[in-house]
Amino acid sequence: MRLPQLTLNQKLAAVALVLGALALFSQPHRGPFVKLDARELALVVEQEVDHVKPAELAAWIVEGRSDYRLIDLRTTDEFAGYHIPTAENAQLPALTEYPLLRNEKIVLYSEGGIHSAQAWLLLRAQGYEGVYTVLGGLDGWKDEVLFPVLPVEAGPRERAQFERAAALAQFFGGQARTDGAATTEAPATALPKLAAPTATAPAMPTAPRRKKKEGC
Amino acid sequence: MMTPFYKYGLFGDEISLLVAFVLGLGFGFFLERAGFGSARKLAAQFYLYDMSVFKVMFTAIVTAMLGVTYLGWLGWLDLDLVYLVPTHLGPQIVGGLVLGVGFVVGGYCPGTSVAALATGRLDAVVYALGIFAGTFVYAEVYPAIQGFVNANAMGQVTLPEVFELPWGLVVFVVVVIAVVGFWGATLIERRFRSEP
Repeated sequence: MRLPQLTLNQKLAAVALVLGALALFSQPHRGPFVKLDARELALVVEQEVDHVKPAELAAWIVEGRSDYRLIDLRTTDEFAGYHIPTAENAQLPALTEYPLLRNEKIVLYSEGGIHSAQAWLLLRAQGYEGVYTVLGGLDGWKDEVLFPVLPVEAGPRERAQFERAAALAQFFGGQARTDGAATTEAPATALPKLAAPTATAPAMPTAPRRKKKEGC
Repeated sequence: MMTPFYKYGLFGDEISLLVAFVLGLGFGFFLERAGFGSARKLAAQFYLYDMSVFKVMFTAIVTAMLGVTYLGWLGWLDLDLVYLVPTHLGPQIVGGLVLGVGFVVGGYCPGTSVAALATGRLDAVVYALGIFAGTFVYAEVYPAIQGFVNANAMGQVTLPEVFELPWGLVVFVVVVIAVVGFWGATLIERRFRSEP
């Protein structure tokens, strides 16, 4: 079969059509420059829906949830020393190249909260919608999950809460502190050895929730 | 290597002027090659018996669009860094109409008038003087029309952003519009040429 004779213009038009059709699948390159909706971001921050409390994160880990990506922004050495179970290590400059999906729930943490907040802004600006930071960073994780402190004037309610927290701390290899504010100056808080949390505590965080359900 | 070179600091302001000069020479050369150094050819567009202006300009648009898309796709061009003239819809429609009227009356648009000037056409000299006069008048009345000129500010936007469509889809649609337009333009030419 012979192809019909095409003029040069018709051939060029055909090439343009083919290239245009292929371009349907194109992904234009996105460089390091971003646009962001300042008002939307300000609202998200104002409404405090941009962070996850350490206790919430701990509950997710205990439940074995896999619908989130926990990103540790500290250095490789610090990460090797200790990190929150299930965390992955990615440093801030490489974060935009790190394989994250825009539709994933991404939870960031750093030592305090500054780097993770900055990384949060970078990712939000690049169109990652579900980005959160761990409130207080690793410090918050230590204070709230690993080494919770029983308040000095604790009522029975606080005491019950503390017991759950203590069990959680044990689960993550930490140690609850019952001596109140006295020891907060010099905490005996050697970080636990890195080990997958395989202890026998998982019943603990689910217990209060079940109770709550019954109450409703 | 990433482009745009200028924004990535590969060359500075002086070299960028040189690059602009070379690009300008190329632009003028191809305008002349397309026959756009002649006001007759350009005015023919408006009498619909020679659609060269439409075809050349739309070809340039499609070529540049596909080039930018594929360079961006390959990761050689950062589209976010390419400067776009900010959109002011209302003022730009009025400006486009003013330019169009000048185009029909004078037989040139600003670029082609400079190309024609370079080849020594007298009408282009008159046209260039008109450009300077118009620029002067505009600068003088600018304070009075400033509010309108800066109205409807939409920023540096692209069609995919305005219509919230995927980039590739807009590219494809524009190519289809162009090809259909070329075909239609050829039909129109045949029709109006036969009845001079």
